Amino acid sequence: MAELSAAANEPDSPEVSRDELIRRLGDPSLVIVDVLPRDSYAAGHIPGALSLPLAELNERAREVLPNPQAEILVYCAKFT
Amino acid sequence: MRLLHELGYTNVRHYRGGLADWKDSGNPIESAVPVGAQAAQPAEPRARASAYVAPEFRANRFENALLGLIERCSTSELSLVWLAIILLSGAVYWIAALAGRPVLLEHGVAVAGSLNGLATAVYFSFVTATSVGYGDVLPVGWARGLSVAEAVTSLMVFGAIIAKFVSRRQEQLVSEIHRVTFEERLDRVQTNLHMVLSELHAITAMCESRSVPYKRVASRLESAVRVFAGELKTVHDLLYRPEREPDEPRLRAILVGLASALEGLQEVLSCLPEEFSVSPILSGTLKRVSALAQEICGECVPRNYAPALTVWMDRIQALARELS
Repeated sequence: MAELSAAANEPDSPEVSRDELIRRLGDPSLVIVDVLPRDSYAAGHIPGALSLPLAELNERAREVLPNPQAEILVYCAKFT
Repeated sequence: MRLLHELGYTNVRHYRGGLADWKDSGNPIESAVPVGAQAAQPAEPRARASAYVAPEFRANRFENALLGLIERCSTSELSLVWLAIILLSGAVYWIAALAGRPVLLEHGVAVAGSLNGLATAVYFSFVTATSVGYGDVLPVGWARGLSVAEAVTSLMVFGAIIAKFVSRRQEQLVSEIHRVTFEERLDRVQTNLHMVLSELHAITAMCESRSVPYKRVASRLESAVRVFAGELKTVHDLLYRPEREPDEPRLRAILVGLASALEGLQEVLSCLPEEFSVSPILSGTLKRVSALAQEICGECVPRNYAPALTVWMDRIQALARELS
């Protein structure tokens, strides 16, 4: 059953490490997206992140992220 | 993330540690951006996100904006807009006459800037806007252009008003249908989870007795897990993309059912002997179950739920982690 742990890392959405994130913080080609609720975003978010609460993902994704090919990084509260 | 993939974003990655990890490691946090200023403030990051806009998005934008506007306005607001268009245009015709440059002719005679003239101008405006066009009052000069524009816009607004009336009844029906199917789906989830649980118990008993060939155990387990995965997906969608909110006791019952089914699954798996080989289908389904269930916890679902519910969500996540 050990191989099941691999299931959490979905193969088609690679992870980004904290170090890489720090390195690329000012990089304009990386769009950082905060999927937490609005009040959490207001209380604090990774610098430069855009707010796109999960609940509004369907409706607002096109507005916040107009470019489907952009390099997008999503994060949540912790461990998704 | 998966949701973003489904929406067509191709290059999505994921910072697994999330905000907690970021904060804990002492990195800077940007905050105190009021919700209202959100539209104005991230102008720079948004600009970089829109460096390239796919053409299909651009073409739809105008249409979407227009439809959105019509959708947001109520029927009475739209009616007011319609009336305003007519009265304003009427006033413009009259003011032109008042200024000594009449633009309306009634039987070849210029309509004056008197009170009577105002009535005629408004009358002409209505006749034009409703596309009746009796022809007893005629526009001349630039008023022709204005009356054509008035007719076109007022007809469009009028059409929107009619459409709203027609769609209201339809919306009621559709929402009623949605409600009924939603209730039915919840019923189905609840029943199926019960069945999965009792099936898992039966399989455990079968497996513990060691008298049944493993092939039969495997096939029963496979179908049970498959049903379970389907219902788990439904619950996952319900939590992540809620079209409607189930009432609390019901959601709680479903979550409890999920948790106990996960426990049952663990029991079965721990009872399986070493030589039992997990078929690729079964292991694939198990992976899916564990991945989906791990995404269910009080903090990771997009909405806030009552503590009585989040306790069970956290329990589900913990069980799923044990499972993996």
